[in-house]
Amino acid sequence: MPTDNSFATIDQAAWEDLVARFDGRMWAVARAFGLSAADAADAVQGAWLRLVENAGAIRDPERIGAWLVTTTRHEAARLSRKARGEVVSDLDVPDTTLPDPTAAVVDADFGRQVWRRLDLLGEPCRSLIRLYVLHPEARYAQIAVRLDLPVGSIGPTRARCMARLRALVEEENR
Amino acid sequence: MREEYLLAALRMGAGADPVPEGVSAAARAVFGLRVPGGVPAGPVDLPVPPGTRSSAEAGTAQTETAQAGAVQTGVRRFSADGLVIDIETAVTGGRMEVAGQVSPLPGPDARIEVRTPHIAKVRVPSGSGHFAVAGLPPGWVSVVCHRPGHPPVFTRWIHVRP
Repeated sequence: MPTDNSFATIDQAAWEDLVARFDGRMWAVARAFGLSAADAADAVQGAWLRLVENAGAIRDPERIGAWLVTTTRHEAARLSRKARGEVVSDLDVPDTTLPDPTAAVVDADFGRQVWRRLDLLGEPCRSLIRLYVLHPEARYAQIAVRLDLPVGSIGPTRARCMARLRALVEEENR
Repeated sequence: MREEYLLAALRMGAGADPVPEGVSAAARAVFGLRVPGGVPAGPVDLPVPPGTRSSAEAGTAQTETAQAGAVQTGVRRFSADGLVIDIETAVTGGRMEVAGQVSPLPGPDARIEVRTPHIAKVRVPSGSGHFAVAGLPPGWVSVVCHRPGHPPVFTRWIHVRP
């Protein structure tokens, strides 16, 4: 990693180190938008391409991880809207000086903490979130059958359960 | 805290849905797509054609040409270092076509490089600055204009899928 705040001078080894450190997080974020594997791969690759084309504008190499995760989220959101048939611009990118500081939570250690909080939730939240997390390709209809819930209730219940889990985690980290 | 980040952290914490090796390999290969000394050309609005409601629609609207079996996207314009690069893309039969024009005329020794992460094709622009490439894999694409005596000018990467 360069130390002169000149990210443009990064070499191949430093680049590969960046990939090793962040590609798992970027992939997880892209998939969290419900993208297929092919679309998620495009979103992740798009974020790396944005890094190449913005290399001269990166002034704080220490924040590259947050920038990569933020940019992946941006590309994933755009591809998700496109997949739903919305007309979206492919030319707007996030401000390179403003990576999302909350991106730091995309981390396996933090994820394990969240799993412990999940155990504090009652049913059906615990089982629903577990299924949703561990089976990214599962459809609501499949989850409904597994949990014996009306399929129409899966989306709203999932949103409510995730909101409760998020509140628990934020309370713990306050 | 964003729900997507929470969900991503949960999956990472459980070791579920790890990143495929192909995605990591593609990320490593992006390093080779840098344009050392190049000048990034940012998007600029196109002039609003008569009857069009806004320049944004003119620049990014997607038109499905079902009769031709192709999905065609609008013209995108990029500019830097006194050079304008217009690009139009289409996907036909699962392959991407890229056509465009550079202006002002970049000189007789100029070369246009149309790049995807997998393949690059080089063209000599015509006397009117036009260029065209076919048979590319759909996905990310960028155009680089090489002019003797000038730094290369490269467009932002754009995403093209059927």
